[in-house]
Amino acid sequence: MTSDVVVIGAGLNGLVAAAYLARAGRRVIVLERRAMAGGAHATTEFAPGFRCNEALDDAGWIPPRIVRELDLAAHGLRLVSPGNRILAAAGDGAWLSLRGSLADTFEPLRKFSHADSVAWRPFAERLRTMAAFLEQVYAQEAPNVDSSSVTDLLGLLRAGLGLRRMGKAAMVDVLRTAPMSVGELLDDTFESDVLKGALAAEGVRHLFQGPRSGGTSFVLLHHQVGRPAGVFWPDQVPAGGVGALADALVASVRAADGEVRLNAAVARITMRDGVATGVVLDSGEEIVARQVVSSADPRTTMLSLADPSQLAPELVRSVRNIKFKGAWAKVNLALDSLPLFVGVSAEELREAAIIRISPSVNHVERAYDNAKYGRVSSEPWLDVRIPSLRDATFAPVGKHVMSVHVQFAPYQLRDGGWTDAARTALGNTVLATLESHAPGLSGLVRHQQVLTPLDLERSFALPEGSAYHGEMTLDQILFMRPIPQFSRHSTPVPGLFICSSGSHPGGGIAGGAGIQAARRMLSGT
Amino acid sequence: MAKRYDAIVIGGGHNGLVNAAYLARAGRSVLVLEARDRVGGAAVSEQVFPGFTFSVFSYVVSLLRPEIIRDLDLARHGLHILPLESTVTPMLNGDYLGQWGDHDQNRRELYRHSPRDAEAYDDYGQLMLHMAHAVKPIISMIPPDPTSLSPRDLMGLLKLGKHMRGLGPDKFHALHKLMTMSAADFLDEWFETDVLKATKSASGIIGTFLGPRSPGTAYVLLHHYMGELDGVFRAWGFAKGGTGSVSEAIASAARGFGAEIRTSAPVARVRARSGRVTGVVLDNGDEIESKVVVSGLDPRRTFLQLLDSSEIPSELGDAIRKFKFRGSSGKVNLALSELPNFTCLPGVGPHLRGAISISPSVDYVERAYDDAKYGAFSRQPYMDIVIPSMIDPGMAPPGQHVMSIFVQYAPFNLEGGWNDVQREAFGDAVINTLSQFAPNIKAAILHRQVITPSDIERVTGLTEGNIFAGELSLHQLFFFRPAHQWARYRTPLAGYWQCGSGTHPGGGIMGASGRLSALEILRHT
Repeated sequence: MTSDVVVIGAGLNGLVAAAYLARAGRRVIVLERRAMAGGAHATTEFAPGFRCNEALDDAGWIPPRIVRELDLAAHGLRLVSPGNRILAAAGDGAWLSLRGSLADTFEPLRKFSHADSVAWRPFAERLRTMAAFLEQVYAQEAPNVDSSSVTDLLGLLRAGLGLRRMGKAAMVDVLRTAPMSVGELLDDTFESDVLKGALAAEGVRHLFQGPRSGGTSFVLLHHQVGRPAGVFWPDQVPAGGVGALADALVASVRAADGEVRLNAAVARITMRDGVATGVVLDSGEEIVARQVVSSADPRTTMLSLADPSQLAPELVRSVRNIKFKGAWAKVNLALDSLPLFVGVSAEELREAAIIRISPSVNHVERAYDNAKYGRVSSEPWLDVRIPSLRDATFAPVGKHVMSVHVQFAPYQLRDGGWTDAARTALGNTVLATLESHAPGLSGLVRHQQVLTPLDLERSFALPEGSAYHGEMTLDQILFMRPIPQFSRHSTPVPGLFICSSGSHPGGGIAGGAGIQAARRMLSGT
Repeated sequence: MAKRYDAIVIGGGHNGLVNAAYLARAGRSVLVLEARDRVGGAAVSEQVFPGFTFSVFSYVVSLLRPEIIRDLDLARHGLHILPLESTVTPMLNGDYLGQWGDHDQNRRELYRHSPRDAEAYDDYGQLMLHMAHAVKPIISMIPPDPTSLSPRDLMGLLKLGKHMRGLGPDKFHALHKLMTMSAADFLDEWFETDVLKATKSASGIIGTFLGPRSPGTAYVLLHHYMGELDGVFRAWGFAKGGTGSVSEAIASAARGFGAEIRTSAPVARVRARSGRVTGVVLDNGDEIESKVVVSGLDPRRTFLQLLDSSEIPSELGDAIRKFKFRGSSGKVNLALSELPNFTCLPGVGPHLRGAISISPSVDYVERAYDDAKYGAFSRQPYMDIVIPSMIDPGMAPPGQHVMSIFVQYAPFNLEGGWNDVQREAFGDAVINTLSQFAPNIKAAILHRQVITPSDIERVTGLTEGNIFAGELSLHQLFFFRPAHQWARYRTPLAGYWQCGSGTHPGGGIMGASGRLSALEILRHT
């Protein structure tokens, strides 16, 4: 069969690209290897009656523009609040409650440090100003520093003007802050361990670095994009689970006469005379298309799906050098009843978007130290969510689902790799850590799912378990993402484009790469 | 009434002396005030033990700008550099890695470890040479202020932009990677031999409080490569007579141009009236008038000690307080009755005429950092060892030797603080580690001098013992060194200037800060 465009993978970016292309009148077919859309953003029934956001708990920032332009509300998407605070464990049953409102955070913070409670608002607002600048940068294509074409100059100028409007101070602050370690940034501002620990974790989310490593302040800023000042969690999530966003996108694609085909794994991208001509499925079926856009990670796209022998050797080398370095694992628990966290009221628990176990910067740093030498953190940083508290679709009445983000679990595990025993040990470590804050929790566990970085790679095609198809580090963002030659979503292979979160503007922004790839494909260059 | 000078330079470190020499060369009457009884700051030679002369702190030379050597005719003033031709790294398995000055010998040695690395080595060297060329104009540039609209800053930015574009895409991207990556990741892209990567990455951590796996360390790698730029291959070397003779040569040149140098003359304060500098007050109460005062001290002393905090804008005060020093290295100087006998290369050989690097693996260096992160000195530290008496026999009595051991990590903020007991324990850790590779070392020691970061601060005045007068991290370079808007050697006080390593480009016995500052002063006063 033939089509204008083949989209490889029905992850969020693939679907967003498909939806925009279909709306522009292209005949689009999306090919998904799995039986469901959404990729790593999948909500599944993992035990009878219990659903969970299996891999990623949220889609990061969902740009309002995408919701609006793709009519996602009409296609069933409803965004709701996951709760309005982070509860951060300070140890010994004490908790810091970081609220969504700057004013409301003052009192809880004052219990730990008066100075910090005073410093909180200026810090949160400062981060918000910097994140607003990044948001502007991310809304545009990566600047092309090599070209002096008029359009590029205009784009750069626009970014420059944006900078000026934000004021000189903000621009300097971004340039100065991004390369810093988040530990330094926090030490410069705050004194209480629990606050610094809670924010330091955001600086290493999905990153194989500790909070004392350079460049981790950038990650903190990156995750602030799209969020209000002082809100360090996604303030809006799809009702019914993260998979509902994928469902709405599929509906949006189909409404524009696009086709989304599941259980259709692409074996390879076909090329003739160095030009992409379509794809061949595992089944042997061939689909011919003028344009192919892949939401698989850039390494898989270029080295497994495309034919690397047709690429320049230095290009292949650059692709091989993309850093993935999966650093996290996921534990999903089906619980017979709501666990009690020592020192946490039922009201606090219900309002908590995240229960965070990362009581100090050094706690996170030590957790990283283990991973650095190829081991799972003996005392990991945990982000715990109980989506069933606010959304009845997750568990039977009276029962609950607990979703635990775990760092660090290195993809390259020393001493034998990711065996079943290693997976079990990881689950036990996580449960033991939780048990110390919520005694009796283990007894409530009816079913347990542990996803190691290797599992994440196998089930969700996350290379090395990398949630963002490549680390979000300063050497792999903007015009460097994933490699300079592909940073504007086209590749040296005519007709082949990339739209994965491994391309600009990267992970944690739902559809951010998809929309830019679609724009590039439609521009005909 | 004391004599009046056109300019007073505070601090007779190498940058202060270079500054004074350039000012005097232009006909200004200049007075250098040095607190110690000798010039040189951290570049001094001292007969610490009878008959044994040491480059007490800074011990190798390579970065000293050739234009300074030329302009000041330092050879005529006694500067003589003796080449340091090799680096040998003993390995834990009894083998070693040699990096030799002779290209063919080097290639054969690398081939023994990895044919692939031997192939890559020349390309890598080529790239680093290109990179050093790429940053050379930046090193010699007075940093423009990116937020300023003044014609001079805009011209500077334009020049910078043109230079970046002129590099071409490949070099620009490589430079971006060097500026943002970790030394370990950067080297992973080139080499597979762990001991080679460890030894190279170790030069990326010198003077920083980061491990080789932390982003930001690749730049220091480059910073140290710049020494290879202007001389012949492998231009690292010793100054004959120790690094003090570099200082002496510059001082002699300065005197030759008419500058006056006064030692044992510590400055207590800089005097100012109505926002304009009027002179300095010495510790002994003497006042010396001058319309131009230049500080060669580090930024904290320049702004917060020599001035009253009311004399500078509060945001500059904040920026300087947040400027990172975090001294991380120490020094052990040994007087030896005989040469060390390394298990991996027994007896006397050419390896003893070069550097010996104790960096057997990347993990080894990273673990050394782990200790420091939590406030301890490295139990098994990274060491850069040279035996100057092998090349410059005048440093020790006949048949005996001096050994200089640069040690990292020794954190300035040691848990419990530095005292005599800790200093000796640190010295013991160094000797115990070294004796694993050269078992005769303990018996050969006649005298031992152990220098902690606290000692470096006390003796040289370098805040927190940071050998670069402020960490060379990305957010403290170029127009951020030492603070935004104050990177052009000026200060808020008219007539008060900076010229130390805490200004652009900073670091090592380079003299570029002193020179650029002098040129800027001469242009404007």
